[in-house]
Amino acid sequence: MDVNNQHINEKVDRMVALHGSTVDAVIPILQDIQHEFNFLPEPALRRVCETTDITPAGISGISTFYTQFRHSPAGRHSILVCTGTACHVKGALFVYEAFRRELKLEEGEDTDASMIFTLGKVACLGCCTLAPVVRIDEVTYGHVQPESVSSLLRDFLTKKNDGISTALPAGAGRHVSQGEIRIGLGSCCVASGSSDVKMQLERTLAQTKINVDVRQVGCVGICNQVPIMEIIKPGESPAYYARIKPEEVREVLLRHFKPEGYVNRFKTGFYNLFENILADGAPKSFRKYLGEQRDTPLSKFLGPQVNIATENRGVTNPIDLEGYRGGGGFESLRKCLAEMTPGEVTDEIKLSGLRGRGGAGFPTGQKWQLVKDQADPEKFVICNGDEGDPGAFMDRMLLESYPFRIIEGMLIAGYATGASHGIFYIRAEYPLAVMRIGEALRICRENGIIGSSILGSGFSFDVRIFGGAGAFVCGEETALIASVEGKRGIPRMRPPYPVVKGLWNKPTLINNTETLSLVPWIIHHGADAFAKTGSPGSKGTKVFALAGKVKRGGLIEVPMGITIRKIVEEIGGGIAGDKKFKAVQIGGPSGGCLPASETDMPIDFEALKGAGTMMGSGGMIVLDEADCMVDIAHYFLSFTQSQSCGRCTFCRIGTRRMLEILDKIRNGNGMQEDLANLETLALSTSRGSLCGLGKTAPNPVLTTLRYFREEYEAHLNGMCPAGKCLPLIHYEVTDACIGCTKCAQRCPSDAIAFAPYEKHTIDPEKCIKCDICRQICPVDAILIL
Amino acid sequence: MVKLTIDHIPVEVQEGISVMDAAATFGITIPSLCFLQGLSNHPSCMICLVKDLDRGHLVPSCAMPVSDGMNILTGCAEVLEARKEALELLLSDHVGDCEAPCRISCPAFMDIPLMNRLIGSGNFEQALSVVREEIALPMVLGYICPAPCEKACKRKQIDQPVSVCLLKRATAQYEIPQNDAFYSISLDNRKKVAIIGTGPAGLAAAFSLLSSGHACVLYDQHEKAGGTLQYDIPDEHLPRAVLDAEIAVIRKMGAEFRLGITVTREIFRHSILPAFDAVILATGTMLSDPATMFGLAPDEHGTYIDKKTFSTSLPGVFAGGNIIREQKMAVHSVAQGKMAAKQVEIYLGTQHPGTEGESRRKSVSATGPLFEPEWNEYLKESSHDQRTIPAGGISRGFTREEAIHEAKRCLRCDCRKPVSCKLRMYAETYGAGRKRFTGPERKILTKSFHHEFVVYETEKCIRCGLCVEITEKQGESVGLTFAGRGFDVRISVPFNQTTREALTSTAKLCVESCPTGALAFKDQEERKPL
Repeated sequence: MDVNNQHINEKVDRMVALHGSTVDAVIPILQDIQHEFNFLPEPALRRVCETTDITPAGISGISTFYTQFRHSPAGRHSILVCTGTACHVKGALFVYEAFRRELKLEEGEDTDASMIFTLGKVACLGCCTLAPVVRIDEVTYGHVQPESVSSLLRDFLTKKNDGISTALPAGAGRHVSQGEIRIGLGSCCVASGSSDVKMQLERTLAQTKINVDVRQVGCVGICNQVPIMEIIKPGESPAYYARIKPEEVREVLLRHFKPEGYVNRFKTGFYNLFENILADGAPKSFRKYLGEQRDTPLSKFLGPQVNIATENRGVTNPIDLEGYRGGGGFESLRKCLAEMTPGEVTDEIKLSGLRGRGGAGFPTGQKWQLVKDQADPEKFVICNGDEGDPGAFMDRMLLESYPFRIIEGMLIAGYATGASHGIFYIRAEYPLAVMRIGEALRICRENGIIGSSILGSGFSFDVRIFGGAGAFVCGEETALIASVEGKRGIPRMRPPYPVVKGLWNKPTLINNTETLSLVPWIIHHGADAFAKTGSPGSKGTKVFALAGKVKRGGLIEVPMGITIRKIVEEIGGGIAGDKKFKAVQIGGPSGGCLPASETDMPIDFEALKGAGTMMGSGGMIVLDEADCMVDIAHYFLSFTQSQSCGRCTFCRIGTRRMLEILDKIRNGNGMQEDLANLETLALSTSRGSLCGLGKTAPNPVLTTLRYFREEYEAHLNGMCPAGKCLPLIHYEVTDACIGCTKCAQRCPSDAIAFAPYEKHTIDPEKCIKCDICRQICPVDAILIL
Repeated sequence: MVKLTIDHIPVEVQEGISVMDAAATFGITIPSLCFLQGLSNHPSCMICLVKDLDRGHLVPSCAMPVSDGMNILTGCAEVLEARKEALELLLSDHVGDCEAPCRISCPAFMDIPLMNRLIGSGNFEQALSVVREEIALPMVLGYICPAPCEKACKRKQIDQPVSVCLLKRATAQYEIPQNDAFYSISLDNRKKVAIIGTGPAGLAAAFSLLSSGHACVLYDQHEKAGGTLQYDIPDEHLPRAVLDAEIAVIRKMGAEFRLGITVTREIFRHSILPAFDAVILATGTMLSDPATMFGLAPDEHGTYIDKKTFSTSLPGVFAGGNIIREQKMAVHSVAQGKMAAKQVEIYLGTQHPGTEGESRRKSVSATGPLFEPEWNEYLKESSHDQRTIPAGGISRGFTREEAIHEAKRCLRCDCRKPVSCKLRMYAETYGAGRKRFTGPERKILTKSFHHEFVVYETEKCIRCGLCVEITEKQGESVGLTFAGRGFDVRISVPFNQTTREALTSTAKLCVESCPTGALAFKDQEERKPL
């Protein structure tokens, strides 16, 4: 055996020792191998087969099923361009193409010649309000423009190099606190630079010796205003500083707090002066809102919302157990264990009218009852956090920001159903969520909240995390179970339902993250209180990820029954820019597009279904007149098509053929009979597919055909009314051109001749339609025709 | 026991069984490509869909357990349409030819690839019987056939088409003189058939009927038999000795030739009709008005001869060849002569109706022209040499050795499982075509010959997963696996190994279970003549 293989074997053996040698250890082992080697070297896989029950056929099947795994070496850093819905409508593909050009990638390549970067797409990073978003390793960049990719790569490499020197002195000393500063550290916040703000804050506090508590809180939901800093000072109304930049932190801080001691004051003044000179002319970009102020964008955004799943939003540190307990946390669990029988708990959930928030809306209490009724002594509860829909980030936010609440919900579910094991199934693309839940579980275990005889009650329940390896179909419960069991994530026929035969053929309760997060509130406030909110058939609240072309996007929790229009116009503040509101896409790839005229419809499981869409897990993407509905249908279908497990005929081939027809239509080559075939295929795929993925995949096509058929017809006539479909459009310079040459300088294909002070022209032969010129033109002189 | 309704019939079945099994108990067979008794039967093909009336859904019957009060329809329009669509989707992603294009383009539907393989292995005798299944005059056509088959031959794209016509001639050249056993067949229920005309159609009809053991009397106004072959084609194209030799075969089989007799209306009505069990009119274009001549009445469309059944208004009187429509190629007339003879046999009750088309199944799957990367895939099992030119000139034809050499150039583009392929069978049953859902580009066909006796053509696979499960269940140490997912999922061998390592004890079972030609035995011949 050569040295290299021996080295691999030793590492693999350690991983096997950690995860075990049974078949279900395969995904965690593969994840470790991938993490260690950046890809899956064949000798490592062979070693796994030699030392475990995992077979060559098994490991090959699994490692090629999940997108997380690579079989060829990758570059040192991984660039992931988010192609979630919000990013898509804001031009993610232009960004992706710009990276390809920058890295000089040939067709079929994903890694640059010097093996520094590997480029990929990711379905959704869950930072929809910062679209388009790009993640390089652990660093997330928001609002990325095609023309800025080279500077972005430089920025990344520079920061990487001084990574060590950015360690900062710790925050304020242990004096009497002058107040509290809250800073959001959800994924969106971090992506928008909140870590830098926090660093600057800590540095300033250290320099000024101002003594305040800095509390890092979970997602504040106002993702469109991040980074956001909230200052709470006794006797003052809380002040919010939205979109604050690191260089503005000092000024804001000094407005509210006085530095300690004269010398410090002097030093502060000196530094201030010095820095102001350096930063002279820098525009102040932040906006200040006071907590009680009315009619601010903030109050409008927050006003119509009702916080149950997101209770105490922006107030609690996600992994501060005492903080959670202080707000009534684990009180519901205690109440259940001490005062209620499992039957009473189940009845309470039934009475509340709670329905599953994963999409289909099955009554939660009824599901619990079915599991409870099973005689098998061994049962499982699984929290489905495999949120993979492009354009949705509810689960991520809940897992990151309220880990204790979800754990509490799971424990209550376990108690009610008689289960003793719980599993958090969280997708690998959500590292922060995995980390927070892991940390919270550790804390709970230390405090007797999970483990044996919880809170001294005699009820025992243990919980572990399973990291999903990148397959949207695993959101389907039988596929999820298959993947936990160490198989390819292929849905199977139901019945039997998992409540009867689930994980390892044991009764298994699978609830969505949001569903579980609502449970403690229901127990605490009572079923009636919950049922009071919402519509007759759909009780309580629903969390939505509002993104797209609205002024204010973010994570919102609204009462069921609220109209879509109210969400878009009041909470979202209507359409950004001067474009017209065209449609709302609800429910992600399984949902559909509703035209603006249909948005007076209430948010309600049945109402949405009747309109051809569905609640889905809660993505809500607002579209304006610049969005092409054929393109949107193509976008969603290309997602589901790429995520099909490939098992059943209709989904495997049907979605592909539909996509090809949409391609043809987008390219202007569509014929009338293509529309008919598209419709036939959509209906038969929906009718004949085995699982929910295939059954709902045609929804975006069917709804756009239903509500926007004229746009399809226009494409058949060679026109894309929204100006989105590249083969049907071209770029032109108007007379407004001032000859600034910016476009000529940036054009990556030399399609624009350099002509200072003259009107520029675009050579259609050379133009690659990358959209950079239009985006950077200072006078909007470039039009899409 | 569970009570449910299947196709409006209340039935009672054992608990826990599938709807498919329940239906089978009552004689209702539900089709499936991916079902195999004893395996997990995780549905994939979706051909077994049935309608669950109460829930309003289509459900895969192979995996749906029966439950009380279920109301199932197995053959309603919605079910039939869904099955057809599933088959059409599978066909749109299935790369391969059920029948080779040479055979499809041959008017007589001769099994050319099989003939080629038999010649290639030196078995001229069986090759000739394959030819004679469809062609009564192989030697004659070996001289004069314009060979549409060669124009369709896929080999043409790579270099030159296989020299099919000369190969066919060679089978006759080397086998007819010593093929005596063939001539003496007799039937217990022997019937007597008159054939008017001794051109290619008449001779072919006689050959077919004689082969089945019937008696034939052939009438011709000329002194010599052969019709246009005898009187229209110059000797340098068709040596008369060749024609005479082939007519001699038919004579030797027991045909009675009444030559030099012009069949008048009178003779036809009074001497022929009463004396024979059936008559075949094969007068070619000689008669300007055969209808009046033989007293035929037109049908409601105004035609005298039914183009499908070759029957006329007179019971027992059939017609074939150029009397129906003028065709330039003699092979057409030969084909029609045989088909008319088959109809006569059905009429006489010596052949079951409906069986006459069995040997003429069209391709439900066809690849069209080869892609360049496919050349080498096909050449894996054929000679790389250029087309063989007979050393003795075209008129002498191939020597045995030359024929064997040339026959090995055949690309074997026909399917190895034309009979057992379930995809083809169900596509025919449900009228599914490959074109409705064709994608913009078809996959490139690959052929793997790593295994000792199994060929694996992954692009013919419909991803039913039976082989994967079989290798897993039977404990193959390497086995097969699914690789990738979604539309691109395929069956592969772990760690870049080959089918040789993957299929050991399970090879036979996997091939036999495979519902298509994706896994087949290398030397599989499902149409080998007796």
